[in-house]
Amino acid sequence: MLTTFRATLDYLGGSRDDAPQLLAGPLGAAARCAVWLLAIALIYAFCGQSSKFIYIDF
Amino acid sequence: MIFNTFIYYFLFLLPSAALYRLVPGRLRPWIIVGFGSGFFLYFAYGMAGFWGALCLFIFLWESLVSRLYRPSSRWCMLGIAQSVLLLGVFKYWNFFTGLFFAQGVNPARWQGAFLPLGISFFTFEFYHYAWDRRAGKTEAGTLGEYLAFILFFPTMVAGPIKRYQDFLPKLRAKPIGWNQDWERGMTRILTGLVKKFAVADLLTAWTNHLNAHDILLADRRILPLWALAYGIKIYADFSGYSDIAIGSARLFGIRVPENFDWPYGRRNIQRFWQCWHISLTRWLTDYVYIPLGGSRVSAPRIYANIVAVMLVSGLWHGAGLNFIVWGLWHGLLLAGHRLWRQLRGAPSTHPVPVFLSRILTFVLVNAAWPFFCMDLHTAILFYRRLLAG
Repeated sequence: MLTTFRATLDYLGGSRDDAPQLLAGPLGAAARCAVWLLAIALIYAFCGQSSKFIYIDF
Repeated sequence: MIFNTFIYYFLFLLPSAALYRLVPGRLRPWIIVGFGSGFFLYFAYGMAGFWGALCLFIFLWESLVSRLYRPSSRWCMLGIAQSVLLLGVFKYWNFFTGLFFAQGVNPARWQGAFLPLGISFFTFEFYHYAWDRRAGKTEAGTLGEYLAFILFFPTMVAGPIKRYQDFLPKLRAKPIGWNQDWERGMTRILTGLVKKFAVADLLTAWTNHLNAHDILLADRRILPLWALAYGIKIYADFSGYSDIAIGSARLFGIRVPENFDWPYGRRNIQRFWQCWHISLTRWLTDYVYIPLGGSRVSAPRIYANIVAVMLVSGLWHGAGLNFIVWGLWHGLLLAGHRLWRQLRGAPSTHPVPVFLSRILTFVLVNAAWPFFCMDLHTAILFYRRLLAG
């Protein structure tokens, strides 16, 4: 169950190409759409306070 | 800043990734070289001024020297020596010379010292290429291909650390699947930006308190929460950065190595390091641990090698005694874990010990972050207040 959960998050986050069974088909497209909208909303809401990435200075 | 700026996306990433797919194959490396050089000049100038931008010559010099590399050649050792020397001068000169003098009276101090953009990472790629060419493990490629490898800007500044033999076939292959690459790549970039903006930057409100003044004034019960906040912040920050780098590379149709694989859920420190900053762990394994003898030497030497590798890792992260202590902490944890496994045999698969070991690993990793994010004096103060009040 944990593996499926991780695979789903990985897929929705863009780090996995193969959709897990749950998200195969139209549900997957809708979920990807929702993730983009949510991500854009979060970025818009929080981008004003951005700081330098920590590892840039390494 | 770089990945969280509009300039990165609209001046560099999107035009270069689109152009890369449109031009004939022989021109593709030069698209990367052109945009990579522009990227370095723009951001290095912004961070370190004229001299910072001039460091582009490091790449050009290295690429010329690299044409002399042959299997078993001494030129490869020269290439390794010069890349390590450059890193040593730029990153460690003031630290090491400062060890010999009292604070503030170092006559050898380099007053205008600056760190060339991405030097810790591109040094490792120079080193890897020279080493693998010497060992005959990789082909030379053309000058354009090698320049494209070292100037591939999505991974230039902070990795993931690539391998030439992995990169070259992808560079030579015609990019296909434009739709999927761009959909997956953009999703990855958005994920990285969310991690950065909505998690890492938000936690700054807590991690800003990790300084001597606030540590002295704070209720000691809040101190572990600040350390934990830093642990979550650095994960969100660096894995977010890696997401953007990997997603950016994907727009070119190039897949670069993964850097994180759910590290905080791992059940021991060895698994943690196999899943945290993966490209660095692999580099250290291949170019430090194995050349030291790896696991094919006597038991005491194996433990010494493990600790030595993590000391190198600590020092690579920063020129400071705190980073050495952080590396030593992880080295001792890894050595302790190896010893424990040898004494106790295979790990239990019962859910309770598995769960407890995951918690223990998480706590031990997070307990070390104060050494990573504060100078040694302040980190010791943190622990003194935490443990002794």
